[in-house]
Amino acid sequence: MRKISVFFIWAILAGPALALHFDFGQIEKKASDYTVVVNVKVEVSFGAQTTEIQNRNIGVIASEDGLILFDGAGIDNDNPFSMMSGMTVSAEPKSIEIALMDGKKYPAEFIGIDRYTKLAFCRIKPEEKMKFKYAEFKKRDDFKIGDWLTTYLLMPEFVNPSLGADVGMVSSIFKVPEKFVFIVGFSEMELGSVLYDSTGAPVGVLGKLENPALSSYETSAMMHAISGEGSSIPLLGVVGVDQLEKLINNPPVKGTVTRGWLGIHLQALTPDIADYWGLKTSGGIIINEVVKDSPADSAGLKTGDIIVKLNGKQVDVDKEENIPLFQKQISESSANTSVKFEILRRLNGKVDIMNITAMLTKAPPTPSEAPFYEDKNFELTVRDMVFADYNLYQLNRREFKGVVVKAVEPGGLAAIGEITPGDIIQSIGSDKISSADDAKSIFKKLSDAKPKEAVFFIWRDNKTQFVNVKTDW
Amino acid sequence: MRKTRLLIILLMLLSAQGFAQAISPLQKEIYSARDKVLPALVHIQPVITDYRTGKIVKQSIVGSGVIFNKDGYVVTNYHVAGKAEKIICTLYDKEQVKAELVGGDPLTDIAIIKLDLADYKGKLNVADFGNSDSLQVGEYVLAMGSPLALSRSVSCGVISTTDRFFSGDIRLPSGEKTGIYNNWIQTDAAINPGNSGGPLVNLEGKVIGINSRATMFANNIGFAIPVNIVKFAANSILSRGKVVRSWIGVECQELQNLEGWFGTALNQGVLIASVDPQSPAESAGLKAGDIILKVDGKSVSARFEEELPVFYRMIADYPVGSKLNLSIFRGEKPIEIEVVTHELGDLLGEDLECKEWGFTAKNVTKQMAVDNQLDDTLGVFVSGVKKTGPAEDADLMPGDVIKGVNEKATDTFRDFYERYTELTSAGATKVLLTVRRSGSTKFVLIKIESPGPEKTEK
Repeated sequence: MRKISVFFIWAILAGPALALHFDFGQIEKKASDYTVVVNVKVEVSFGAQTTEIQNRNIGVIASEDGLILFDGAGIDNDNPFSMMSGMTVSAEPKSIEIALMDGKKYPAEFIGIDRYTKLAFCRIKPEEKMKFKYAEFKKRDDFKIGDWLTTYLLMPEFVNPSLGADVGMVSSIFKVPEKFVFIVGFSEMELGSVLYDSTGAPVGVLGKLENPALSSYETSAMMHAISGEGSSIPLLGVVGVDQLEKLINNPPVKGTVTRGWLGIHLQALTPDIADYWGLKTSGGIIINEVVKDSPADSAGLKTGDIIVKLNGKQVDVDKEENIPLFQKQISESSANTSVKFEILRRLNGKVDIMNITAMLTKAPPTPSEAPFYEDKNFELTVRDMVFADYNLYQLNRREFKGVVVKAVEPGGLAAIGEITPGDIIQSIGSDKISSADDAKSIFKKLSDAKPKEAVFFIWRDNKTQFVNVKTDW
Repeated sequence: MRKTRLLIILLMLLSAQGFAQAISPLQKEIYSARDKVLPALVHIQPVITDYRTGKIVKQSIVGSGVIFNKDGYVVTNYHVAGKAEKIICTLYDKEQVKAELVGGDPLTDIAIIKLDLADYKGKLNVADFGNSDSLQVGEYVLAMGSPLALSRSVSCGVISTTDRFFSGDIRLPSGEKTGIYNNWIQTDAAINPGNSGGPLVNLEGKVIGINSRATMFANNIGFAIPVNIVKFAANSILSRGKVVRSWIGVECQELQNLEGWFGTALNQGVLIASVDPQSPAESAGLKAGDIILKVDGKSVSARFEEELPVFYRMIADYPVGSKLNLSIFRGEKPIEIEVVTHELGDLLGEDLECKEWGFTAKNVTKQMAVDNQLDDTLGVFVSGVKKTGPAEDADLMPGDVIKGVNEKATDTFRDFYERYTELTSAGATKVLLTVRRSGSTKFVLIKIESPGPEKTEK
């Protein structure tokens, strides 16, 4: 892993080095005040194989009290792929160590990862109250194509100094799917590092724009993104001050969900379908299904309704790939806020325009956010079933209960008993399980009773079966 | 020292001579078995149709078969001839005759074809079926067929095991489930692709199995369907055109290892692991964890997985609509439950190619609904979407169930077929399909660029 990164950094350095009008000396001095090395240990498991890996990232101190942001892509476990492929990153980094440029090292506490920018946050745990120098970002709204930006990237561990300069150029400014300043010249290895403009002011950090559908749990949108040509290649660009300030003031806290949720299955209103139905609108959201007792249901939204405006603004979703933009708008509104929809309702050839207000609730957790329990005796980790599981496996939310096996330790009792990640445990012995909490108390009961075997009743491949797990008490 | 060596060489020579002159009894038996079956061996070349890529793809394949009745009926594998459009057979005397499909049974992987003997001048040879219940491990067997299309090939080996069980979801190349109702005879007589459908023969010269599968990259691990299963399937196909089975909708699991937990000191019974939704078992109130002790007063048991097919077969063999009295062990007390069997029905539905729209479809059978977690059998199932066709452009996906065309319900295959022919012959350029996908509805708008005349193949 580390060998590859060394190779990549040298490859970047061998790239074009243009002499530009940057005062590199002044920028480097500033950068070394708040640029840090973030060493993150995470556990990665693929099927039954688990290994611990260390990620070495560049990070930046973003507040006086030691809040640090860095690229979280390597430690992110909240993506729909892992749910399907079985490759998972541990729910929490095992440890984080922060190394300042002056050589001081501190342990840090993980906070969370932003779902959209994939920026990760942690906070230094100082021995006593300390004040850190931090990056004071300058707001820039006037980027032009051809503007040059510089950044400092992290050198391999065996060289000194640790930082090296790199330059990139604004190549395009996207308006759709969202405003994004696209830069060429930087690499993914530099994600999370601070960008400076020609005045030497820090203007943002390097982030990426990837097809939003790739991080969507809406299966059809994701399938689109995967099958679309080249659409999974991320584009690098500026995460600007507006977005950073929002995140710095209110970092995404692991495990606490504040995202809003509406509760519909949806589809893009393509120009073709709009035309077929005789609608004069450029885009919208067709509601394919309303989840029972969801905010959408209580607000009176119905299957077949077409959302054309959200809080007075046109919904421009005219292809499936853009669905996540609508979802993002909903999920970025906090729970317990109300949103106004203008909808079209087709009835007997007539189209009614209606206004409907829905009160969003807290979004159901994603699989990685779900509460989990790790049992040391059986060497397995189980988590609560979440909304996405019910959708993926097409199970009835009211009737079907269980916990999803998140990981099994190779060679452990559960693994020997042929319990595999993805199995849904419905009961053990005669005890029914419907949450990680249930699992905790049942495994506790087992460890007290110390039976020779435990019979798991599991759901796998659309069928139930019994699995005898032998214990070694 | 030198003397002894000379003696040994001499002895070897002598014995070699003796071997050449007098045929060993084993060799005689092999010759005799060969003569009884080899003349009835058939080299089969069917043209099969595949609908799974969204269009009809025809493919010529090679398999084997054996004539088992003087009217020219040949038994082979379902995966050889079960989906055949036309079949050409080469008999042992190298004469070629046409044949047609009589019927097939994917669950036992058996198909019956009938030779067209109108112009055949030779003498038809018929092989006899033996009894696969009295097989012995180690017994000599011959495999006959067309490995890698090399016709009239014989290989020899022994029976490696008489009751090999395969757990898990075994599927034929055409997608049907198979192997639920039988164990397999395992043999080390070489079986290669092309041997499928050919006979496995004992030294009495009786067919004891139909060779049907082999393990890839292994040395001589082949599997044959026991002939008693073949006889049952063949008789059903000859008399009714198909194998009719009773179905109650339970998946069972071997009781071994779980007896302790279920507290059956009996060491007997069949454990229900899973109950299919909307099945007779579900409506009768059977549950996972129930142990069936008796069916209509007859004791049943599956302590080992090899015993599961026997139980499934027992249920399947009841006439459809039978009321079965099950004695169930549930939580320490025995209870009686009555289940009325339904017909298992077809595993997969009838195929349709919607050429103009660029996809293939099937009617939804009960078994497809169970397999694909569908709420009902209404609508038509998209079995394949053609690359770069109108349906693919519109994002129709295999597995979608079409519930409506132009917002009118198409509950049955016939409804859909009528709408399809009506719209294509009217030259419709836009068609809105309402489909169910992953438990939700989707609208799929198909745009047909240049409508041509109707070109449907059914």
